[in-house]
Amino acid sequence: MYHRIIGDFKLIIIDEDLCKGCHLCLFMCYKNVYAISSEVNKKGVQLPFVKFEERCTKCGTCEIACPDQAITVDLPENWWMKDDNDINFNPNFTKGDK
Amino acid sequence: MSQEKQNRFLPYLREDRLPHIFCPGCGNGAIINAFLAAMEKAEMDFDNIAMVSGIGCSSRIPGYLKCDSLHTTHGRALSFATGLKTANKDLDVVVFTGDGDAASIGGNHLIHAARRNINLTVICINNNIYGMTGGQISPTSPKGSFGTTAPYGNQDTPFKLAELVAAAGATYSARWTTVQIENLVTSIKDGLKNPGFSFIEVATQCPTYYGRKNKLKTPTAMAAVMKANTVFKSAADRMRPRDLEGKIVVGEFADYTKDEFTESIDKLSVEKSGNRTIINSAYEREL
Repeated sequence: MYHRIIGDFKLIIIDEDLCKGCHLCLFMCYKNVYAISSEVNKKGVQLPFVKFEERCTKCGTCEIACPDQAITVDLPENWWMKDDNDINFNPNFTKGDK
Repeated sequence: MSQEKQNRFLPYLREDRLPHIFCPGCGNGAIINAFLAAMEKAEMDFDNIAMVSGIGCSSRIPGYLKCDSLHTTHGRALSFATGLKTANKDLDVVVFTGDGDAASIGGNHLIHAARRNINLTVICINNNIYGMTGGQISPTSPKGSFGTTAPYGNQDTPFKLAELVAAAGATYSARWTTVQIENLVTSIKDGLKNPGFSFIEVATQCPTYYGRKNKLKTPTAMAAVMKANTVFKSAADRMRPRDLEGKIVVGEFADYTKDEFTESIDKLSVEKSGNRTIINSAYEREL
């Protein structure tokens, strides 16, 4: 499916074939991770790119808010834990007692 | 990261039909994502979902999803969905309609489906204009907005769809915009889980027709205006009506439980004749 991918960023992939250049990801991102590139591609679309990757908190809002399913955020299975050792951690507290 | 990393919604979509037909910045694609995320949160079976849609931009959504779907006549999506749900009540029927589809030509079907309280989930995508036919004024266009059929501004008061359906007797009714996408996901999840008529109105941007006529040419401008004009229901209850002109009141308008249509029919059938109305196989008597 992915023929060409903009940049070699680890966290966020933007699919060049699906993006139509509405720039709603710039508006919806709470941390202003994205920026608009200056040159246009062959479709005449000024694609967004990830400029400030260190600001990203992996909230996944841009993934849902993208109307063209072009953004993919690499969320690990248990991203709320720093290390991969404790994979049985349950984020939901039991009722009443912790 | 490997190159095989895929978007989390692509397994549910027909990839050969992508990119879809919607204009750049149209909110329909975001609502596909919100519905799929809500379905994952509600832990529903995607193969058990049947989608019904009418005519319009928003009604093209089921064509891009890998589930059973029914593309019906203009305004009659809820009638077809009522028949489908009554015939096989084990299906999870989801209806995608637009504002012209649900409020204008199918207005009576909408209020009577809400009155019956049949177990459907209706996602009404309200873009304030007839987008597919060229920008005519719809029943939900705000007062003073411009369109192809209103070159001097619309003079009519718009429908308040979520309040209308809540007053007609739906057990779940909510309104959100595409800007509050997390609340929309939670709301669709609640609507899918609710045993009764659930109505979720989503106010979206239409930059091609509504935006171009009303000096909001980019999707970002439309989203910013929508975000600025949003008032939550708890705050709107304490505001005067003239302060609320032109605002979008978001929140949940109804959330309670009541007798459901297919359950009542089943109960009546068992009482009178001894067996359930639902016959999943046409050859059940011969077996």
